[in-house]
Amino acid sequence: FERRVLRGAAEHHYLRVRLELPDGGARPNAAQFKQLVVTALRELHGEVGAALPVDVLTYEEKTVSAILRVISSGLVKLWSALTLLGFYQNRRCAFRVLQTSPFLLALSGNSRELVL
Amino acid sequence: QNILTVCFSVGYSAVALNHVIDFKEKKQEIIKPVSPSELFPSLPIVQGTSKRIKVLTRLTLVVSDPSHCNLLRSTSANIRLYDIIAVFPKTEKLFHIACTTLDVDLVCINVTEKLPFYFRRPPVNMAIDRGIYFELLYTPAIKDSTMRRYTISNAISLMQICKGKNIVISSAAERPLELRGPYDVANLGLLFGLSEGEAKAAVSTNCRATMLHGETRKSACGIVYTVKKPRKVEEEEAAVPACKKAKTQA
Repeated sequence: FERRVLRGAAEHHYLRVRLELPDGGARPNAAQFKQLVVTALRELHGEVGAALPVDVLTYEEKTVSAILRVISSGLVKLWSALTLLGFYQNRRCAFRVLQTSPFLLALSGNSRELVL
Repeated sequence: QNILTVCFSVGYSAVALNHVIDFKEKKQEIIKPVSPSELFPSLPIVQGTSKRIKVLTRLTLVVSDPSHCNLLRSTSANIRLYDIIAVFPKTEKLFHIACTTLDVDLVCINVTEKLPFYFRRPPVNMAIDRGIYFELLYTPAIKDSTMRRYTISNAISLMQICKGKNIVISSAAERPLELRGPYDVANLGLLFGLSEGEAKAAVSTNCRATMLHGETRKSACGIVYTVKKPRKVEEEEAAVPACKKAKTQA
């Protein structure tokens, strides 16, 4: 048998994020959420940032939390754009990034919410 | 108080409450800081460790005139109650004075408008040697897009001179929604031009070093150090006959 070593990180990074909206009104649906992410990228990194291939893999409207996938080279841009987003439809909001990992399986367990 | 609750839930282990004093108005008195025990009867525990979260108090002086710095040297009792002291210089001369001679822990760098002066290497290097840290705020970047440009441009020009050492990134949050988690802030450091290790240090190690700097500034009044004196040889010779005398007496 032979041993193969794969160098380099995985090609996608996954982020579990939650948008905190002070209980104001309507929560965004999936399409509006994606639009919000692209707007955040455009505000900070311009057209090139907005063209970054970002996918929303799952979205829960009740808790406004989602799992995003992005190319590994674009992780810093996406994360910083989400951090600096302040307003959604003239309402103050905040993005909280709960977990991030190059592997999707790692997002299923959260050691911070472990109840011992 | 809401802000502090959010801080704890997001994962910070030490928080400093800031009090800003602006000298343009006349007759500003330094007020006693709000004691953290008044806000919380018992502080919650940091996630993952068994220690409690620390809440410190901090004073920021906005100086636009060299005479304002006299306040730091005065023996007003209230200044000593603050854990961390920061200064916000508005002119190049004051920046130079703050880096070289003033007794502070942090030098705030303005992010809300274009800097009226350029950073020069000598005062910045002296500040790094003295253990003074430069502070950048990130909350204006969340509020307004013009401020975002100023924040990033001022941060980049600071990085060029100081090469990423002695940087602390902090938030001037007035609402709980303006706060961001520690890893998010470390990611912002990457935007400013820091390397990954430096960015994480800007949120963790450098902040702790600032706290320790404040503690030493509060407690150290003078230094006592002992030096070996060359007289020791004579003392030894003198000591020997004394012992002999003791033996004969005994």
